[in-house]
Amino acid sequence: MSHTEELEKMEPGFGLDEAVAEAQRCLLCHDAPCSKACPAGTDPGAFIRKLRLRNLTGAIRTIRENNILGGSCGVLCPASRLCEKECSATGIDRPVRIAKLQRFLIEHAWKTGFKVLEKPAGPAKDKVAVVGAGPAGLSCAAELARRGYRVTVFEAPPEPGGVLRYGVPAFRLNAEFLNKDLAELETLGVDFKFSAPLEGLGAVERLLDDHKAVFIAIGAWKPLRLNAHQKEIKGLFTSVEFLAALRQGSEETLFAGKFSEAAKAVRGKTCAVIGGGSVAMDCARSALKLGAKDVYVLYRRSYSQMPAEEDEKQAAMNEGAHFLLLNQPVDYIADKDGHLKGIKLVRTQLGGKDPSGRRKPVEIRESGWTLEAQCAIEAIGNAPDDKARKLYPSIAVNKGGLILADEKHGRTTGRGVFAGGDIVRGPDLVVRAVRDGKTAAAAIADYLEKKRVKQIITRKPGTVPFTGEQSER
Amino acid sequence: MTKKPDLSVTFCGKKFVNPFMLSSSPVSNSAKMIERAFEAGWGGVAYKTVVTDRVPIIHPSPRMHPYNYGAQRLAGLQNVEQTTDRGLQPNLKDIAYLKKKWPDRVVMASIMGFANQEWADLAKACTDAGADMLELNFSCPHMTVEGSGCKVGQADDLVEKFTATVRNVTKLPLVAKMTPNLADMNEPAMAAKRGGADAISAINTVKGMSEIGLDDFVPKPNVFGKGAISGYSGPAIKPIGLRFIAEMAANKKLNLPLSGMGGVETWVDALEYILAGATTVQVTTGIIHYGYRMVGDMIEGLSDYMVQKNVKHVSELVGKAIPYLHETGEFDVKRQGISQYDMDRCVGCGQCYLVCRDAGGEALEWDSKKRRPKLNDDKCLSCMICSFVCPVSGLITYKEMPADWKRKETVTLG
Repeated sequence: MSHTEELEKMEPGFGLDEAVAEAQRCLLCHDAPCSKACPAGTDPGAFIRKLRLRNLTGAIRTIRENNILGGSCGVLCPASRLCEKECSATGIDRPVRIAKLQRFLIEHAWKTGFKVLEKPAGPAKDKVAVVGAGPAGLSCAAELARRGYRVTVFEAPPEPGGVLRYGVPAFRLNAEFLNKDLAELETLGVDFKFSAPLEGLGAVERLLDDHKAVFIAIGAWKPLRLNAHQKEIKGLFTSVEFLAALRQGSEETLFAGKFSEAAKAVRGKTCAVIGGGSVAMDCARSALKLGAKDVYVLYRRSYSQMPAEEDEKQAAMNEGAHFLLLNQPVDYIADKDGHLKGIKLVRTQLGGKDPSGRRKPVEIRESGWTLEAQCAIEAIGNAPDDKARKLYPSIAVNKGGLILADEKHGRTTGRGVFAGGDIVRGPDLVVRAVRDGKTAAAAIADYLEKKRVKQIITRKPGTVPFTGEQSER
Repeated sequence: MTKKPDLSVTFCGKKFVNPFMLSSSPVSNSAKMIERAFEAGWGGVAYKTVVTDRVPIIHPSPRMHPYNYGAQRLAGLQNVEQTTDRGLQPNLKDIAYLKKKWPDRVVMASIMGFANQEWADLAKACTDAGADMLELNFSCPHMTVEGSGCKVGQADDLVEKFTATVRNVTKLPLVAKMTPNLADMNEPAMAAKRGGADAISAINTVKGMSEIGLDDFVPKPNVFGKGAISGYSGPAIKPIGLRFIAEMAANKKLNLPLSGMGGVETWVDALEYILAGATTVQVTTGIIHYGYRMVGDMIEGLSDYMVQKNVKHVSELVGKAIPYLHETGEFDVKRQGISQYDMDRCVGCGQCYLVCRDAGGEALEWDSKKRRPKLNDDKCLSCMICSFVCPVSGLITYKEMPADWKRKETVTLG
């Protein structure tokens, strides 16, 4: 397999027989605990029972009606700490592989041509604008369209998906899979404006001129940096640019032409990935698949404190990444041409607890050393883009630039303006963005039907939810 | 295990090294295959039914269809298999070869004629070839000609007549193979005895229709657009086979040795057939699923059981269950019990609660916070369905209640 093929190739899902066998492990719980554990309201208790009773179409419907991104969530969701964590079969031996069954059912729908969603009959309702075609925007758009609203999605890149297309490596979710997952959106009649970034002061507010409501779901795309005033170093990437550069599928992609640059920087080189979250694991694994000589994951805390999922960490190590724990990167060393040649590190040890409840890394004096590396990828978290703020000057944001929106409805401080996903939460799970899209859609429908006139948020969300280390999705 | 017990049995005067036989089917189609089965340890073979060369046999294609239950493959097997499609002479040669090469294994030639003379000719030919005994196939469910296959087995006079015909031409032991596609097997079995049969083998396949194509509406196997009611075998039919064997074993008037078959896959299945009254046990569908090697596990499993139970000879086990077989009206209904729960091991799935609520005595309450069931003893019907769905083995067991215990009556509405 070529490096590129390795980057594109997803792990195979279940076939019918394997799925039936796995579903047979389900205890078919009364009042199934798994069904209460999904942020997006997925009901595995129902869809697995349906699979067991050979009601495959019904199982597919259960997933699809609930989640327009059923396939993508099936492959990306860290189910081991959501639905699968609650699985009663754990008491027997191990949880049922719920996410993989969900993926199977969605793939089975594609294979058999079974479609669930239909454009609702009846007169079209009000126009709603959705800004951003990532998980939150797409789920909001789908839900509103299903309710009969005329939805227009404004998306800066040329294709939909947001983080699903540009923020995860293709070996976890490739374009072919994503495109199939999104196909039913077209059936719903959602209108997409691609390569249509909003620009100018108050562009979001101006959408209200010809839309009755707006949902902001533009994500958080500004990479946090180790050193805010980092000078340009060749071979140094942020996870955002590195991962996006690898999504080279279409010539039109945002980062067209960057693939070869990233590949060249990595191939045969010693690479360092800085960070311990899912994105860091994605970067490390991508670098290895691209042909890096060695990949070091640099993390200032201990293994158990890494925010990445256990299976991601295992995958990275099995694929050859070296984990350098309790090491704090402090600076980069470049040669005279500006090429990276090393990373200055200081060893740390764990001290007392920090506000997150984890033991704090404390630098060990005079423990500095240098790791030779020709490539480094920073994966230490994202924040909202600085330029985003001016698109909606009347909407209140917190210090970190996250939009203040209430958890239950996604209402912002602006009348008719709702928001969800990473622009409200900071970097978080796809499935939570899906949830935000759905709840905001319901709230928007309520608002437009004047069931709930009161619009100003009543409860402020907590403090800035990102710590500079979180890199979940 | 210190000593290997003796698994040998004597059936119709012939010694078998163990009670396990291939039944007459594709698994006993040729000497080459059967030899491999003998190498694996099978004690004997019912050679695939031979017929005269008068009517050439051409098999439908495809000829089998699996009936899967969830992820379990081959809970049953549907087939439209016919008698041997090889010529009579090659089969006779194979029988002779096997007898010469494997003198300690029993070769029972299965024959099927379409008229008196054919039965006589086939019996003579197989006797001359050296077969140890003959199995008279009165039970193939796929014969269309009147007076053949299971249509014989369903007509007592034909069973008696053809058995008598064969009896006249050979001294070999005769085993009449019965079809289960009737209400009472004792009647044709008695007819076979009157005709001179020395033993009964049962059951052939149960007539059935396991699946229908949902797109083409053709019952399976789909033979180019046509389906048929045909023979159904495998684990799904074991209860039916055990029933017929037990009913014949319990019939003192019949008093013939029995060869049992139908759904045998494990030593436990085989032992159950023996306990129900069979002296030898035959297998086909199990081999279609697992290959000849399965006999190794049957031998080992039965051996260890016999050592544990201090049983010296398989014959001590034959028919052991028959004294415990009663009419349902003979049960002592004064003795009653309930289910009991080992709650320390509960994993909280709540399936017991669901089935008790919807199909039992509505005797369970559900604590949705703790995710645990609670049994109201006096409503428990002791149907035990809760234990059938409980994923933790042995968590729910049966407990007899004291004589003065009373079950609450079912609530009447209106």
